[in-house]
Parts: sequence; structure tokens; C-alpha cells
Amino acid sequence: MWKTTLRRFLIMIPQIILLSILVFMMAKALPGDALSGLLDPSVDPSMIEAQREKLGLNNPWYVQYWDWITKAIQGDFGQSFRFKMPVTDLIGQRITNTIWLSLVTLIFTYLIAIPLGIISGRYNDTWGDRLITGYTYLGFAAPLFIFSLLMLWVFGFHLQAFPTEGSVTPGLVPGTLEYSFSKIYHILLPALSMALITTVSTVQYLRSEIIDTKQRDFILTARAKGASESRIYTHHILRNSLLPIAAFFGYEITGLIGGTVFVEYIFSYPGMGQLFLNSIMLRDFSVVTALVLLYGIASILGSLISDIILSIVDPRIRIK
Amino acid sequence: MNKVTGRIEEELRDPSTSPSSWTILWRELKKDKLALISLIFLGLTIVAVYGVSLVLDQKQIVRVDLFALYQPPSAEFWLGTDYGGRDVFGQLFIGTRNSLSIGIIVTLLTGTIGILVGLISGYFGGAADNLAMRVVDFFMILPTLMIVIAFVAAVPKYSIVSFSLIMTAFLWMGIARLIRSKALQEKELEYVKASRTLGSSHLKIMFTQVLPNLSSIIIVTMTLNLAANIGLESGLSFLGFGFPESTPSLGTLVSYARNPQTLEYRWWIWLPASLLILVLMLSINNVGQALKRATDARQRRG
Amino acid sequence: MALLEVRDLKVYFPVYGGIFRRIVDRIKAVDGVNLTIEPGHTYGLVGESGSGKTTTGRAIIGLNPITSGQILFQGEDIGWGMRGHQSRFRKDIQMIFQDPYSSLNPKKRILDIVSEPLRNFEKLTPAEEKRRVQELLAQVGLSSETIYKYPHEFSGGQRQRIGIARAIALKPKLIIADEPVSSLDVSVQAQVLNFMQDIQKELHLTYLFISHDLGIIRHMCDHIGIMYRGRYVEQGTTREIFENPQHIYTKRLLAAIPDLDPSQRGKRQRQRQLIYQEYDKEFSQYFDHDGLAYALRPLSDTHSAAIPGRGQG
Repeated sequence: MWKTTLRRFLIMIPQIILLSILVFMMAKALPGDALSGLLDPSVDPSMIEAQREKLGLNNPWYVQYWDWITKAIQGDFGQSFRFKMPVTDLIGQRITNTIWLSLVTLIFTYLIAIPLGIISGRYNDTWGDRLITGYTYLGFAAPLFIFSLLMLWVFGFHLQAFPTEGSVTPGLVPGTLEYSFSKIYHILLPALSMALITTVSTVQYLRSEIIDTKQRDFILTARAKGASESRIYTHHILRNSLLPIAAFFGYEITGLIGGTVFVEYIFSYPGMGQLFLNSIMLRDFSVVTALVLLYGIASILGSLISDIILSIVDPRIRIK
Repeated sequence: MNKVTGRIEEELRDPSTSPSSWTILWRELKKDKLALISLIFLGLTIVAVYGVSLVLDQKQIVRVDLFALYQPPSAEFWLGTDYGGRDVFGQLFIGTRNSLSIGIIVTLLTGTIGILVGLISGYFGGAADNLAMRVVDFFMILPTLMIVIAFVAAVPKYSIVSFSLIMTAFLWMGIARLIRSKALQEKELEYVKASRTLGSSHLKIMFTQVLPNLSSIIIVTMTLNLAANIGLESGLSFLGFGFPESTPSLGTLVSYARNPQTLEYRWWIWLPASLLILVLMLSINNVGQALKRATDARQRRG
Repeated sequence: MALLEVRDLKVYFPVYGGIFRRIVDRIKAVDGVNLTIEPGHTYGLVGESGSGKTTTGRAIIGLNPITSGQILFQGEDIGWGMRGHQSRFRKDIQMIFQDPYSSLNPKKRILDIVSEPLRNFEKLTPAEEKRRVQELLAQVGLSSETIYKYPHEFSGGQRQRIGIARAIALKPKLIIADEPVSSLDVSVQAQVLNFMQDIQKELHLTYLFISHDLGIIRHMCDHIGIMYRGRYVEQGTTREIFENPQHIYTKRLLAAIPDLDPSQRGKRQRQRQLIYQEYDKEFSQYFDHDGLAYALRPLSDTHSAAIPGRGQG
């Protein structure tokens, strides 16, 4: 067991190094560098050249990479020329919003997936199952951005049941109960929109897992021994099927990241996804670089956690 | 089931028919009403979109007309006009054509790379395969969307070609992984070993012996990938990182909904494109899922 | 001159382990095998599953890499040559596979399957190729209309005939038959075996016949080698092996052959029990402390057995 875990950890190290190189290459490919945003274009070119030399921008790429990565490890991603503040502080302001959004989405995802998956799997080929299967079909095909837009249009604008932008009603004092409620209220619609789409694969997985398990010999034995149907489900089938699903949350992170970019953009929700898009449009590339690196590391860690948990829960899927 | 199997066997006995993957899949597809309707819809859409856009003058449609801003649907403009006074209905046709085209191009490109990498990696195995799959795993974990966006922003002379290349660069891994695992199973079968003893080269075995046996799975995956790629392209265009503004995509039309006024009051601009994307993706997925079931059923029967 | 001579053949497979998946051990699938096959003869290689008999056959034809040893074909070392796809030995050595279901590509027509070796080695026009395939199919007793059919339209026995047609297409001298009938119905087995004998006479073929079934081996072969865990325990003519077995393992194998004569059943049963007891008792004398067979000791010109050094047991 520890061997699998250790091996998985060792795989992660080259992954993170590869990621950092990829991000560094991307940063180099992005037009402009640390200076182009900071300096007035009218400054004497020789002055710029001197500055470039001083900042090490004329060094060979591996030296630049090393400088960049050692600073990044210490949490220094440079300055955002647009907001005139350190990138780290800027991301710090937005990260909590995105984490809350992701967390609520994850909770919704499981809240929807577990009952639907169980109903669909336990009573398969009934009209209820067909309804749920139809929904998963639709959710599987529907692009998140179209679905979110329709949700915003229907519930935000037409029914006016939810706020249509921001993360909190302006003017409220942080720390008050009202403020917290307002934050939750603002998260609900974007999180629900995202969860309704992302939950589909989990519903499908749970359904097929239950249908698969309930015909296994040990379930038939339990039934033959006279165990009640509800006991069979709570004690045998669900115990087997729910654990892997819980472990999937790490894999969900990559999907969530992509999702938050769309959802934050559509609901004008001030998180990292929105910051990312804005920074790209404003050519504030030091922010972009930091965000991609951060997101990449989050995804790598997510898959690490899921792989390890799954290898503990289910020895069959241990990585070779 | 028996009747069907019997009929298939009967047809196969006829020396003129060959049970190519296509004929088998087509036969299964015909039994699935929803998928058949989807396929007919897709066919009609493709004919309509490519046919009509031959007649339509793209330049004229994307020309700004300041005297016809935000016109609601009328006899002249069937789906009204957008913020530049451009005909939404015409843009819908051109947008669908562009979205479909890029979807097909990216699917074919990623398919080709994925099949090549997967086949070679799975067939030869060993250390190179191990390394290739580690790299593939790595790229599959990454948040591809953001990296694609960053690269779109990074490319200096941005065009449709560079857009499809960027998408391809980050999307071939899934199919490579799938083909690799299938090739790994397939190469253990004795017909591959037999081919070796009969003097066929590895290259020949890979492409003329193993590849035909993967054709069903390739067709299914490519179909599902097509839907995903159209979704991703329109999503990127929606965010403003897809097609250049001069070539409208379905996502471009949807992106006008970013203006709250448009979203709330001018449904004709963004809703038709949104629904069209939805229906297109549903149809392609229906076809793909039906094909998938067909191949599974075949495996059960065989 | 011998058609095929194998000298001290070793095939080891690596075992990977540890955190870095390095080679931690090697499985000795074939561990020092020597055999000689004369032209026109049938040499039987016998052993239980995992004894290395199939690996030996596959190593000879180049499907498994050889760790060490020599393979001589008509006195010439084919060495690593078999591994290249256009080796000139390819035409001379062919193989019949165990599983007639997976050894024919399900997506190919019979025409394409049987003509595969022809396309690799002979430049024929499509018409010539078709005629050759039809001739070959006629040789194995299949009608010429079958060329446009697919493998799944044939029975197991018919498929194995197609496999044989493909193997003889290049007019080989040696055919390695790896359990060619073990996945067929018993009723079809005899048919295919007799057919293989007919075709052997017709085409002057030499067979290396690999099987776990001693009854079949006795029917087919004139020389026999018996393998256990990668090594030879005994080899000799069919007569020597069946009438004068020397190694305890050989005796045990022979005792396990079911007897069709019911009147002899009780007697056979008692004999079998005796041999099993002897096997358990004397195992340590016949095998070293790793449970492996000793080196072969010659008993006559053709007969040798891996019996311990203190003389015949």
C-alpha cells in the first residue's frame, strides 16, 4: 500500500516540473514582458535595455526559468501592472470566492448525484430511472456555458429569483449575518448551474455501479439469507459504490476549474476565473502565468489525492 | 435478437457484402429511433448550412448597418439584427458552418494524432509506451481550457489555422489513451503473432491488421469527440478566444448575451444560436451513444 | 544433416518490481534446451502448461527473444535472424497456432488471410494470387468459393485448416504446430491430425509438434522430448519413451493417460497409484533442491534422461 502511495508521489514530482516548464514557456510566448507594462513607451530604448539587463531578461532561458521558479516557490509572482499590486495579493483577494463557489458546487454535485444515482440504479428500467437517464443524457450533451446562460436568463432575469451578478450585495458590512447570507445567495445560482451539469457523470457512474453490484453473488447470498432490501442497500451495495464516488472529488477539480471560468464570467462573479479572463484581455500576463501555474498544481494535487484514496478503497485500480 | 442475428449472418454469407464496421453500426443505428432522427437532423443541417452559405454573401452579412441596430425579427430579418445591425439569421448559418467545420477539422486532426500515438505506443509497449502514457496522463490532468486560452492570446498572427492547431495540441490525449489500451489487448491475440511468422512488418501489422479491428471504437469515439469539440469551440468563441470576430461562430452569437440588455430583452440574437448548439450536441451525442451501444452489444453477442 | 538443431536454448523473462519497476528477477521459461529434428520427421514436445514447450516453439520462430543459445536450420545459424520480418528463414519455418479463433484476423477475408505470406514474399498479380489461394484451400479441403468469406463463418476445424493453408503457402520445410487441436472438439481433432499427416507426406514437411496430450503425441510423433519447468527431463524415440520411460516424471505422465479398455481399469488404477507414490517418495532424487531437473544423461544413441548420477534408477 505505502509503495503505491510513494510511487504516486514520485510521479507527481516530474509532473509539477513539467507543468512549471510549460507555464514558463507560455509566459515567454505571451507578448510583452515584465517591463512592457511598467514603463512609459517614450522612455529611451537604451534605458529599457539597461533595465532588461538588470532584471535578467537577457539571460539564457534556463537562468530565467530558475529565477522565476525560485521566486514562485516563495510566493512571488511579480507585479500586476494593471492593478499595480503584487500578483499574490491580487489572487489572494479572489481565491476565497472561487473556493467557496467550487465547494458549494461540489456539495450540490453530490447532493444531486447520490439520490438520483441510487433511485436510477435501484429501480432501473422504471419510469423514474428513464427520467433520470434522460436528464443525464441531456446534461452530458449540454455545454455548461449555454446551460448557465439559460439558468441566468430564466431564474435571474425572468423570475428574478436570484441575483444576476457579483458575489455579494454592495454596501453590506463584512462579518454581519446579512453579508454572509448575501454571499450564499449569490453563490447558489452559479453553483447550481455548474453542479447540474457536472453531476451527470457521477449519476451515470453510480447507476451502473449499483446495477452491476446488485447482481453479484454476495448480494444474492445476502438476499437469500433473508436480509431486507433496505439493509442490503445500506450495508452492502452503497458501501461498495459510494466510496469511490467520494474519492472522485480530486478528479473533479480539473473540471471545476474549467467550469468556474465560464460560470464566473457569465454570472460576473469576482473569482479567479474572471480574474484570469480579465487579465488576458488586459494583457496582464504576470497574473495569467501565476493563475495557470496555480490551477495546474491544484489539478495535479487533486488527481494525486483521488488516485491515492482510490488505491486504498479499491485495490483493483492501483496504478502499475 | 435471434432474428436479427440470423439476418446478419445471412447477409454476411453473401460474398458481395463485407461486415465492415460501417455496415454493422449503420444496421444497429437504424433500430434506434432517437438516434436515427438525430442523424437525419444532422444530415439536413449539414446540407442546409453548407448549401445556404454557398449562396449567402458572408461579407454582406457581417457588414455593419447602423440603420438597423437591434431590429426584432421581421419579414426582412427573420431573426432580427444584432448590435451592428447584422442579420442574425444569416450569421446563424455561417456560424453553424464555421463551428461544424472547425469541429470536424479538430476531430480529424486529434483523431489522427491520437490513433498514431496510441497505436504505436500500445503495439510496441515497453519503456517508450510508459513514458508516452505518463505524458498523456499529465496533459489530461491539466486544466486544458485555460492553457488553450493563454496560447490563443499568445499567438501573434491569430487565425483559424492557429486556432485549430492550438486546440489539437491539447486534445489528442484522450483518444490516444483509449486506442493505446485497445491496441494493447489486440496485440496479444494470435493473429498478430501469426502475421509476424508470415513475414509482415510491424508497420504493416499495426495498420492493416490491428487498426481495422479498432475501427468501431474509433468511429464511436470520433463521433463523441466531434460533439465535445464543437462545444469547446463555441465555448471559447463565447469567451472571446475562439474564432476571430470577422468569422462568426455559434459561440460568437451567444456571446452577445454578455450584454445584460441583450440577454434580457433581445432573445433573438443569442437564444437561437444557444438552442442550435444544444440540439446539435444532443444529436451528435445521440448518434455516438447509439453507436457505442451497438459496439457493446456486438461484444456481448460475440 | 538435421533440419533443425537447437543448442542450449535459454529464454528468460524479466520480472519487474519495487518502486522504480526495475528488473528484480528473471523467470527461466526455457533453461538450456537441446533438440535435433531430422527432415521428414515429427518431433513431439510434451509438458504441462508452463513447462516452456510453447516458449521453445515461439523462440525458434522468433516470436520470443532468445536469452542465449543457438538455433541452426540446415546447419546455418539463424540466430537473431528470425526476428526481422523479411528473414529468408521465414519462408522455411512456419507455424500453426493453438487457437483457430484468435489466430485468424476477424476483419479479413479468407483471401486476404491466406495470401498474406504470398504478398510478403512473392510478387503475384491479383489473378495469380487468387488462383494460388484457391489451390491452397483445395489442398486443405475447402471449396474455392470460401475466399470471400470471413473467419467467423467457419467452424473451428475449418478455421484450423485455413490456418494450415496459410502456413503451407510459402512451401516451408518445417512447421511448428503449437497445440494445433487442443481447442477443437474431440470429434474434429482426429480429422485435423490425420489431415496434417497426409499433408506432411504430400509436401515432405517436418513438424515440431507441441502438445500436452500424450495420446496425440504418440499418434503423431517419432521422437519425443519431455519438458518440466523449462528443462528437459527425458527425450527419445516414441518407442523408447512409451515402453521404457526412465525418469519418474515421464512415468507419471504416462500413467495419467486414460485407458479406453474397461477390463484393464482396475489394474491401471493400481499401477497409477504405485507410480504416484513412487513419484512423491523419490521426487528429491530426481530433481535438485530447487525442484528442477538435472542435466540429461545419454542412455542410448537416441534416448537420454535427466536421471541422477548414480546410474539407472
